[in-house]
Amino acid sequence: MEFVHKKTADSAVESFLPKAAEQGVALVWDRYEGSLPQCGFCETGLNCRDCLQGPCISHPFRDQNKVGVCGKDKDILGVHSFLRLVLHGAMAYFDQLADFAEGVMSGEISPKDKGGSDKVLKDIQALLSNGTAAVMKEFPKGLVDGWRAKGVSPEGIARDLFKVSQKLDGGTSGVEDTLLWAFKAALSGCVAQVLQGRLKLAVFGDGPPKALEVNLGVLQGGVPTILLCGHFSPILKQGIAEAAKGKNMGVMGLCTDPLVPPHIFPPVTNYGSQEIPIMTGAVDLIVAGDQCVNPSLAGLAKQWNVGLVQTEVLNRGGDLKGSARKIVAQVQKAFDGRRKVTRDIPAIKESALMGFSAKGLDMKKIAQAVKGKKIKGLALLAGCNNVKFTQDLEIVSLARELLKRDVFCVSEGCASISLAKYGLLNPQNRESSCGKGLSDLLSSLGKDLPPVVDLGSCENGAVTEFLLAMGKLPQELPLVACFPEANRTKAVARAAWTVAMGVPTYFWPFLPVTGSPKTTEALGDFCQKTFGAKFNVITEKMEPAEKADLILKNLGRG
Amino acid sequence: MEVIVVDREKCTQCHTCVLWCGIEIGSLAKELNQAIHEEPQPVPRVHVEGNNFPLHCRHCEVAPCIDACPNGSMRRDPKTGLVYVHEPTCIACWMCVMVCPFGIVAPSSSHHVAIKCDRCRNMEYPICVEVCPTNALKLQVTRKGLPEGESHYVQYSKGLEGF
Repeated sequence: MEFVHKKTADSAVESFLPKAAEQGVALVWDRYEGSLPQCGFCETGLNCRDCLQGPCISHPFRDQNKVGVCGKDKDILGVHSFLRLVLHGAMAYFDQLADFAEGVMSGEISPKDKGGSDKVLKDIQALLSNGTAAVMKEFPKGLVDGWRAKGVSPEGIARDLFKVSQKLDGGTSGVEDTLLWAFKAALSGCVAQVLQGRLKLAVFGDGPPKALEVNLGVLQGGVPTILLCGHFSPILKQGIAEAAKGKNMGVMGLCTDPLVPPHIFPPVTNYGSQEIPIMTGAVDLIVAGDQCVNPSLAGLAKQWNVGLVQTEVLNRGGDLKGSARKIVAQVQKAFDGRRKVTRDIPAIKESALMGFSAKGLDMKKIAQAVKGKKIKGLALLAGCNNVKFTQDLEIVSLARELLKRDVFCVSEGCASISLAKYGLLNPQNRESSCGKGLSDLLSSLGKDLPPVVDLGSCENGAVTEFLLAMGKLPQELPLVACFPEANRTKAVARAAWTVAMGVPTYFWPFLPVTGSPKTTEALGDFCQKTFGAKFNVITEKMEPAEKADLILKNLGRG
Repeated sequence: MEVIVVDREKCTQCHTCVLWCGIEIGSLAKELNQAIHEEPQPVPRVHVEGNNFPLHCRHCEVAPCIDACPNGSMRRDPKTGLVYVHEPTCIACWMCVMVCPFGIVAPSSSHHVAIKCDRCRNMEYPICVEVCPTNALKLQVTRKGLPEGESHYVQYSKGLEGF
């Protein structure tokens, strides 16, 4: 068995791998290789730990042990495995939303648009209590009516999350029924994400796309540097930036929203290489949330004498602004104490233009280009990194193939950071990366449009807003979503609601449902019948060009 | 001869050896996602039973299965000493199944052959040993029929006392 593959396509990250080996520092790739072969029952969703009578497995190769102690067979195990991921992912969006809304409600910040912010807060209450958020009216009627008929449209967290979570506890629901509950949870997560985006706009204001730089080269070395890591209240992030203003210090971002107007937190790297910034020695203090933060950072921070502030603690005490001021004071102190630490910053960075929105794009022109077949269709690129693949290679190669073949690509979240590192968010590379049809469309949309259009971080719903602004039901458009290096449960929930919106979705690596033929089939055919789009679970190894072929074939379906 | 030895303290009954044996040796596809849906169902050669003990063929020096086989389909590899089934000539009479003192040989009605562990004789390394997450399985050279080395590894006869 050969398990080892090239670890990363990012040369800035790669330069640290021999150094880590020399210093005996175990990184994500070492831990992954150490865990191989991974449990085949878990990998295919044939296991369950939902009660204390187990753990149970459905044995694929034996006549006994086919069914769990409580009677879950391989199909129920498979669909529960999917439901568990979607539920966890959907809750992540509610967690982000609740943090932000709480900060706004407690008056920690005065919103730019007070009326707008109050309206969104009211809508958030409605989503949480009974799902009647006014924003649902902006979704195409055909789509929402379909969801209502199937019972999957949001009805408040009691049914969307609590009830769904108990499907894992037992009951006699079948595969398709359980799957619909999973989509219900996902859709409520979708609305939560859209409302979070709206609240961000009302609180911090709107602005044009921002030019910024990404990758390890953005670290400065000579100044105290704070690294904002993972997802936590944007009010705290803004507070830190305000407190650091005029103090000659750097505030960088990692797996977090890089744009909190008017501030920019340059992304130092993306998920797969989260540990590397510490190894440069140029990070003095990490402010870390929970979501998207590798627990390994705690050990590495200790080793490099880097301060670590947790944002998600039990007794928060004090206000966010006060915490921000404390953090800034702490980084100055940390920097003074770390003067002897060698700074080893690779001079690798890339320019990017990020933070487009449907409002700022001429959606009519895009629709016309689709109709006139000037472009082959649209692809949404999402997901982050997954250690099972060479970091960034899958998403960047796929994006390059799609751009060459005239597919209009939009991206969000960590996927954007991956693409930005290789210049695909740099307007200068438009001509060289895109096919003629796409290049013409992009230049007609504005003089500085990059090859891939970033719609912002996963902390806002700009992609959903983009889909809504297309003016047609997504299933009527040549549109696909691709998650080439998916990893977090958020990505599974995100992919699920994209399918529910009628967008065919390709997801790598394969979901832990393959042990259940019924679940795998239902994600394809049943979803096609119910939502007009398939959730494609692909188990075969494919080259980027093959993936692009597959996607183009799907785009040409209409 | 090299045989597989079992450290019962380390075995967690995770069945990883069974799963991978089914994929690498039992299946046609040799790939997890296809193997688990294959018909007839692949048959793993190792069985994890109670008492944390993955049962493997002992490749007995005086092998009753070889003696019982009416047409010489149960054979011993002269180089390695490993006992294996020559599947093309096996007539599925199950004589070997009846005489095996450890219940290792499995009658497979769907494959119409007797199925048993050949210690991955055509591979560099037995798959079960390679995949065992706790190193409960180990390959060891035997001397006079018993494995050498650490005494806490279960030896043939001792390991079976509990059954």
